[in-house]
Amino acid sequence: MVSTIQNTDVKQKDADRAVVVAVTSRAVFESGADGDDVYGMGVAFPLLQALQRVNERLLEENPAESLLFDVVLITTDSQQQQQSSRIISSTRHYGLEVSRFCFSSEEDFVESLQKNNVQLFLSTDRNEVPQASQKGVLSALLDRQEAPSEQLRVMFCGDAVNRPDAGPMPASRQAAQSFSAQLGEMRQRFGMSDSPLSIVLMTSHGGRESCGGALRTLRSRGVNVDEAYCLAGAPLSPILSVVRPHFLLSDGFSGLED
Amino acid sequence: MSGQVKELKVSPSSNGDSRGSWEEKDEFDQDHLGLTTKPKLPKPENAVTIAVSSRVLFRTEREQEVYLQKGVEEYLRYQIEHENEPFAPGPAFPFVKALEAVNTRLRELYPQSEELFDIVLVTYNHAHVGIRLINTINHHNLFIERFCMTGGSSPIGYLKAWHTNLYLSADADKVREALAEGIAAATMFMTENLTEVSESQLRVAFDGDAVLFSDESERIFKAHGLDKFFEHERDNEDTLLDHGPLKGFLEALGKLQKKFYAKGHRLDCPIRTFLVTARSAASSGIRALKTLRAWGLEIDEALFLAGAPKGPMLEKIRPHIYFDDQMFHVEGAAEMGTVAAHVPYGIAQKHNLKQNSNVGK
Repeated sequence: MVSTIQNTDVKQKDADRAVVVAVTSRAVFESGADGDDVYGMGVAFPLLQALQRVNERLLEENPAESLLFDVVLITTDSQQQQQSSRIISSTRHYGLEVSRFCFSSEEDFVESLQKNNVQLFLSTDRNEVPQASQKGVLSALLDRQEAPSEQLRVMFCGDAVNRPDAGPMPASRQAAQSFSAQLGEMRQRFGMSDSPLSIVLMTSHGGRESCGGALRTLRSRGVNVDEAYCLAGAPLSPILSVVRPHFLLSDGFSGLED
Repeated sequence: MSGQVKELKVSPSSNGDSRGSWEEKDEFDQDHLGLTTKPKLPKPENAVTIAVSSRVLFRTEREQEVYLQKGVEEYLRYQIEHENEPFAPGPAFPFVKALEAVNTRLRELYPQSEELFDIVLVTYNHAHVGIRLINTINHHNLFIERFCMTGGSSPIGYLKAWHTNLYLSADADKVREALAEGIAAATMFMTENLTEVSESQLRVAFDGDAVLFSDESERIFKAHGLDKFFEHERDNEDTLLDHGPLKGFLEALGKLQKKFYAKGHRLDCPIRTFLVTARSAASSGIRALKTLRAWGLEIDEALFLAGAPKGPMLEKIRPHIYFDDQMFHVEGAAEMGTVAAHVPYGIAQKHNLKQNSNVGK
């Protein structure tokens, strides 16, 4: 059973132009003590604030801007579903720019994503992410971050691991392409310095040709990358802890380097 | 691009499977990737990692002008327009080529070892310049497969992440930051009329005080003069000098040298190190030698100039790079065709600031 509630506090976005990002409420809020009216801030809280800041800056540049992030809070946890009013009141309490609340079960949350035209799904749950991915929804796993940045930092992994047993993922790749193109367009609204959004490319295994190829491919889609890291086999986590992306997108990005 | 047929499939579990969060990419089959035709790259902690900025590896003066005169947007536009024009070699170029020559010899003798030089391009350029930099690396046939283009943020965190043993940059502030973090670093400048250097033997020259050693003796000299300095050194002959910012790098070079010696290549070792110091052999130099010996560091040639100018001596040695803490010596070396790098460390820097050297960035 899927239900959607609009947040009347927030102006609804243009359905044709907005970039719909769904984040699980479990990622955004942390359950506090029972009896608290309001949830604590979860792992994805800084991310939501960063998305919001991008919107604010986009509207500063052009008050009629329609290419904005449209954030949907999706609740897949039946426990949290019972707390739906608390989710809504917490959202209002923090002034989060969430336009819709979706409530579904673990079985049909992907249906909910598709119904809501979600272009990017973010979750802390390791099972939900591949489930959505398999049905063609671009998805990424959220991890706890130390000192998350105010600037929205999105990382594309240019040479996602190719495993021989994998099945093809055309839908996901399509989703990845259109999302990256929209992100690229958003990025162009801002100058080189002081941008609320930074697009980061990382190639973890390939050498410089891999990275060069990915840069060219992204550029051909209208995505100008701000930062590029070519690791050529070096361990990821030391570099990732300096780059501090809010999330990584590798799903659907294999073959960027061709 | 590599001529290999790659499988364009993505595993359903490539993102967020049960094994790990963002790090499961560690497992892979190298044969599927573009690295089979090139030697495998070492893990950063096993290698001697040299981080170079784009402005010292290549010549980018014209582009710098555009940046300073017209701002970052125009600068990036210019770079993209000239994307297919490779940059000319910069002051660190011969040094990097020599590092690669040493690697070739090391791989011959120790094919499985990761104890090699690893060169990483670390630049705070935007990735818009990336394609031009990659084209340039290709053009000059350099073996650089790793880089960080930070798009304007500080590269210092990345230096640590790469276990950097030496950082070379045109930006003195960044170099100072690196030194403050305990990373050996030096500022390089473009010089015209460079003397030709060896393509088969890496030659690295170091000043002593405030480079290999601390600046404690230099402080005495600056505060109390030469006589006091000699007296102090004599009195403390058997006390080791404290270490300076480049001691670790000399140590790393020594480790690699020993690998050649172990296979009978002492006489034709492709790494040679030099100490070029204003100290005198008969007196103050003794303390320097005793310190090096106590540290277990061999230096191939020690030249005690007793205050004589360093330029002519360096011209004879022809190092790929010479490290000194005093701009006066760096400039003197450059005048005579030696690539000299400034280590902005210690008491001499107060003096440098007063001189207000305007050596180009």
